Amino acid sequence: MTRDLTVTAGLVKEKVVTLPQDALWYKDAIVYQVHVRTFQDSNDDGIGDFRGLAEKLAYLQELGITALWLMPFFPSPLRDDGYDIADYRSVHPNYGTLDDFKHFLALAHERGIRVIMEMVLNHTSDQHPWFQESRSSRDNPRRDWYVWSDTDNRYRGTRIIFLDTETSNWARDPVSKSYYWHRFFSHQPDLNYDNPAVREEMWSVMRFWLEMGVDGLRLDAVPYLVEREGTSCENLPETHVILKDLRRRLDEHFPGRMLLAEANQWPADLRPYFGEGDEFHMAFHFPVMPRMFMSVKLEDRKPIMDILQQTPAIPDPCQWCLFLRNHDELTLEMVTDIERDYMYDTYAGDKAMRLNLGIRRRLAPLLDNDRRRVELMNGMLMSFPGTPIIYYGDEIGMGDNVHLGDRNGVRTPMQWDGGWDAGFSKADPENLYSPLIMDPVYGYPAVNVYAQSRSGHSLLAWMKLLIATRKSTQVFGRGSIEFLQPANHRVLAYVRQLKNEAVLVVNNLSSSAQAVELDLRRYKGNILVEMFGRNIFPRIGDLPYLLTMGPYQFFWFRLRRI
Amino acid sequence: MWEMIMGELDHAMQELARGFAHFLPRVLAMLIIALLGWMVAYVFKVALRGILRVVKFDRLADNAGTTELLNKLALPSSSELLSRVVFWVVWLGFILLGVQVLGIVFFQEYISRFFLFLPRLFAALFIVFFGLVAASFFARAALLAAVNADSPSPRILATLIRTIIVLFTVTLAFEQLGIGERTILVAFAIAFGGLMLGLALAFGMGGRELAKQFLERRFLKERQEHRQDELSPL
Amino acid sequence: MSVGEVDLLVSVPTHNSAQTVGETVQSIRMGLLKYFPRERAVILNADAGSKDGTREVIAAAASNDLQRSANLYSLRTLPCISTVYGDSPETDVALRTVLAAADLLHAKACAVVSPDSTSITPDWIERLLRPVYRENFDLVMPVYRRHKFDGLLLRNLIYPMTRALYAKRVREPYALEFAFSDRFGGHLLERQIWDQESRGLAAEMRMTIAAMAGGFRLYQTFLGTKPHVDRTGADLVAALRQTVGTLFWSLDANFQYWSATGQPESVPSCGAEYDLTTEPIRVNRKRLYQLFNSGVAELEPVLRSILSPQTLADVRSIARLSDDDFRYPHDLWVRTAYEFASSYHKSVINRDHIIQALAPLYRGKVYTFLVENRDASGPEVEANVEELCLTFERFKPYLLDVWTARE
Repeated sequence: MTRDLTVTAGLVKEKVVTLPQDALWYKDAIVYQVHVRTFQDSNDDGIGDFRGLAEKLAYLQELGITALWLMPFFPSPLRDDGYDIADYRSVHPNYGTLDDFKHFLALAHERGIRVIMEMVLNHTSDQHPWFQESRSSRDNPRRDWYVWSDTDNRYRGTRIIFLDTETSNWARDPVSKSYYWHRFFSHQPDLNYDNPAVREEMWSVMRFWLEMGVDGLRLDAVPYLVEREGTSCENLPETHVILKDLRRRLDEHFPGRMLLAEANQWPADLRPYFGEGDEFHMAFHFPVMPRMFMSVKLEDRKPIMDILQQTPAIPDPCQWCLFLRNHDELTLEMVTDIERDYMYDTYAGDKAMRLNLGIRRRLAPLLDNDRRRVELMNGMLMSFPGTPIIYYGDEIGMGDNVHLGDRNGVRTPMQWDGGWDAGFSKADPENLYSPLIMDPVYGYPAVNVYAQSRSGHSLLAWMKLLIATRKSTQVFGRGSIEFLQPANHRVLAYVRQLKNEAVLVVNNLSSSAQAVELDLRRYKGNILVEMFGRNIFPRIGDLPYLLTMGPYQFFWFRLRRI
Repeated sequence: MWEMIMGELDHAMQELARGFAHFLPRVLAMLIIALLGWMVAYVFKVALRGILRVVKFDRLADNAGTTELLNKLALPSSSELLSRVVFWVVWLGFILLGVQVLGIVFFQEYISRFFLFLPRLFAALFIVFFGLVAASFFARAALLAAVNADSPSPRILATLIRTIIVLFTVTLAFEQLGIGERTILVAFAIAFGGLMLGLALAFGMGGRELAKQFLERRFLKERQEHRQDELSPL
Repeated sequence: MSVGEVDLLVSVPTHNSAQTVGETVQSIRMGLLKYFPRERAVILNADAGSKDGTREVIAAAASNDLQRSANLYSLRTLPCISTVYGDSPETDVALRTVLAAADLLHAKACAVVSPDSTSITPDWIERLLRPVYRENFDLVMPVYRRHKFDGLLLRNLIYPMTRALYAKRVREPYALEFAFSDRFGGHLLERQIWDQESRGLAAEMRMTIAAMAGGFRLYQTFLGTKPHVDRTGADLVAALRQTVGTLFWSLDANFQYWSATGQPESVPSCGAEYDLTTEPIRVNRKRLYQLFNSGVAELEPVLRSILSPQTLADVRSIARLSDDDFRYPHDLWVRTAYEFASSYHKSVINRDHIIQALAPLYRGKVYTFLVENRDASGPEVEANVEELCLTFERFKPYLLDVWTARE
C-alpha cells in the first residue's frame, strides 16, 4: 500500500513527490544504506534516532536517493550491531518508539523515498524471549523453535562464517545442557525452519511491518535457514520452498513490495534465489564488488569483465543490488586465494584492517582519498546493470577508524558540519555511541556535509549530479549490457541498451592517460552525446572510434541518431 | 789559295760553332728536363709506394696470386714493382719530352705514339691484375665449395675455373694493347667454345649419372632436413 | 601498441612453426600465470611470413581456457601480440623487433623462447625471467641436457674459445632461448650493432659477446633436455659462418677487451650445471675422416695462406695417419683455431673463404672427439672438454703473438 501525496503546510522549500506506482520501482531506485543510530540524534543521548533521521530527510531527498535501507533497529542486546534481535515487533528504545518510526515512514513517503528495512529470519538473539523459553527445558512448547542437539557432531563440515571469533557452529547451553546451532555468533541461535510454527510466526512478523507501510524487506542470512545432514547446510532446496511461500503471500497481500536477499554466494549459486520470478525480487551481487577494487589497482578490466560475463541471466522482474561498501567488511570470500592475497597486499597492508576474510575500511580510505578514483568507482556503480546502494557517508567521502573493534570503524557518526559533535548530536562528545573521526584528513572539520554543500565542486555536489544523471534514464536500471573489448585492456567499455535507447559507458581504469579505439560499427551513424555536459561528440563512422581519456576518467554517452 | 782554305775552314768552323750554339742550349734544356723528370718520377714512385702500402695493395696482390708469380720470376713485390714501373714510365716520358725539345722531327711521331699508347698499357695492366684477382678468388671459392660438398676432384674444378678466367682476362688485355688482337680473340673463342661443347657433351652423355646425382643432391638437400650420419654441430 | 607498459615480455619468433608453437604458447601462459601472477606481461610473436597458419594457431592458444585445465587463475589480461617482420626468417631483424618492443613497452625483463622447443615446461619461464626480473642479472643463457655427441661445434670450438678469450664460462653462447634485462636491451639498441657489415652473422651470438665484453651480469639456467636433431653436412658451413664467423668478427671488434682478460670466471647458474645423456646413436665416423683428409689435401694452397708453416706441416702429418691411428691433438687444434682467427683478423684472403676452409679441419677434430669419447660416460666427456678448454686458455699468449705479428 502506498501513500498518496499530500502537501503539508510549513514545508516551504521541499518538493512533494509522488511515489511511482510502478511495481518494478526497485529497478530504478537509488538506495541509501544507513543505520538510524549513526545519522542524527534528536534527543542528545549520543545515539541517533528516528526523529533525527526524519529531520534529515530533506538532505536525502536533495541528494536524489529514492529508497532508504535501514539497518536493524529492533530491541536487541546489540552484540552484533542489531542483528541479534530480541523483539520483532518493536523499536529499540535508543532509537525512539514505534510511533516515531511510523511518523518517519510517513514523512519519507511524502518525499518520495521508500523505506526498506531488515528482517533477520535465520536467527534471534539469545536474549529473545523465545530462546529463553526454548532453552529453559526440553519440554517447553518452544523447544523446537531452535535447533538443539545433544552432541556437536551433527552437520559436520559446515563452514564457519565468523572465523575470527567462532570455532564451531554449535554452542553449549549450560541451562539445558545441550548444544544449539548458530551459524553466526554464539549468542545468535538459529531458528528451526522445519517447525511450521516458526514459519508462521515469522510471516506474521513480516506482515506486521508491511501493514505499517514499509516498502521492502531485506532478508538477512537466507542461505542458512535450513540444515540437513551431509550437506553444506547452505542453499538447500527446503530453504527455497520456504522462501517461495513467503513471496507468494507477499504478492497476495502486499503487491508492489520488495524482498531483497542477502546471500553472499557466487552468482551462479544465487540464481536459485530468484526462482522464476517467484522468490526474491533483488539480491546482492557480492563478487563484483571486490573485483571492481581489484580492477582499479591492476589497471586491467579482466576481473570485472570475467565476473559480469559469468553472472547468469535472471528473470525479467528481478534485479541485482550493487554496492561499493557497506556496514560489513569488504568481503573477500568470493574471490580466489591469489586474488585475496593481492587485495590484502594492496588494500590492507596493515593487518589491523583485515577481518574475517575481508577488509574493514570505508570507500575513501580504500581509494587513498583520491577524488578521481572515488568518482570512477561511483560511476561504475551507477552504470553497471543493477540497483546501486550508497553507504551513508560515502557521498561526502567519510573516513574510518580501524582501531574500533569488529566493524565499527565504518559505523561512526555522520559528519554534518565542523562544529559540536559534527552536528550529529548535542551530547558530550565522550558520550556518543562511537567516537567521531577526528584526523586532519577525514575528520569532521575537514569532511562534512555543510562544507561540501557550500561548494559547487565538492564530492557531494558531484554525487548529486551523478545520481541525477543516472535517474534521467531507465537504461541503467533496466537495460541490457554488452561489453566491448577494445585492445587497450585498461579500458572497460560497454553499451547499456533498453528498447531504443542506448548508452555507451567507457571507463579508464588506469592512473595514466589512455587512448582507446572502440569498435562501434553496430552503431554507425549515431552521434555521441556526453551525458554530464550534454556536449556532442563526433559521429560514429567506419573507422574505430578513438577516445582519449585522462587518469581514472569515465564517459557516459547517449547514442543518438539525429 | 792558303787564304781560301783558311777562309773556308773559318767558315766551316763558324758553321759548326753556330750549329753548336744552336744546338747546345737545347741539349742543356733536354738535360734539365731529364733531371727534372727524374726528380718528379722519384716523387711519384715514393708517393705511389706509400699509397699502395696504405691501401694494402700487397695483400690484394697476394690474393691474386701475383706475388707468387713474381717470386717465381725473382722480381720484387707487386707494389714495389708497380712503383718502379711508374718511375721508369714517368722518367721516360720526361726524357722524351726533352728529346722533343731537341726538335728532331724523326722522333716526334714515335714520341706521340708512345704517349698515346700509355693509357692502353695501363688499362691492360689493370685488366690483367684484376683478372688475376678474380680468377684466384673464384677458383678458391669453387675449391672450398667443392671440398665441403664432397664433390669429386675439387682441384680440377678450381683450376678449370681459374684457367677460364685467366684466359679471358689475357684476351681482354691483348685486345686493349692492340697486339694481335684478332688472333688471340679467335684462339680464345675456339678454346672456350670447344671447352664448353666438350663439357656439355660430357654432362649430357658420359656424365649423365654424375650430373643426375649432383642435381639430386642439390635438389633433395633443400627438401630433407635430416640425414642419418651427420651430427648436429650446434 | 595499446598493450601499454608491461613488466615482462616473452617473445616467440616463428616461421612456419604451426605444429609446435601451440604448445609453446600454452606453456608460456601457464608459466606466467603460475610464477608471475601479479606482473603485467605480454606474449609477442615475431613472425617471418609464415604460410602455414602459425599466427592463427598462436591466437587460438593464447585465448583458450587455461583456468579449468591447469587450476590456475589469472588476475590480469595477458595479451598476445603478433607481428610480421619480413618474408623470411632473419635472426637479426627478429631480435631487433624484440628489442624495440621491449623498449617501447618498458619491459623490465624480456625472454625469447624458440617455438621448436618441444620439451618446454612452464618452469622455463620462471627460470629465464626470475634472474633478470628479481635478481638483477642482465642476460640469462640456457644450459641444456644434451646427448654427449650433440652440439659438437659448441663444445669443441665455440665454448672453449669464447671461454678462454672472453673469460666467462658460458656454455652455450649461441642459444635460441634466453632472457635479458631492459638495461642490456637498451645497450644493444644504442650500440646499433645492426649494420651492413655484420649482416648474416648470428645476432644471438653477437648479443652474448656484447654482454660479456660490456661487463653485464650473466647467468645460466638449466632448461631441461634438448632433443637430438640430425642435420645435414651442408649446414655445417652455414653453422660455421653463423657461429665461428661471428666469433672471429667479434674478436676483431673487441680486441681491447679480450686481450686483457685473465682467468675465466664462472657464471652464476641455477639448476644442473651440466648434464649429458649417453644413449647410443648411430654415427658415421668414417665419412668425417675422409672429408678431413680430402679437405687437407685439396685445400693445401688455401691453408698455406691461413696457417703458419709449422702448423700446416703438423696438420699434414696427422692427415697421413690411417684412420685407426688418427688423432687431432688438442694443442694442434688450438693452434689451428687461433691461427684461423688471426688470419681472419688480417683478412689474408676473403673472410668467408677462411671460414669455409675451417670445415674439413673441424671434421677431423670431431672425428677425434667421437673416437675418444665413444665409450665415455658423461663426466668423462666433461673432463675431456675441460681439458680442451684449459689448452685454449694456455695458448692465449700464442694467439696474441700471432694476432699482432706483422707479415
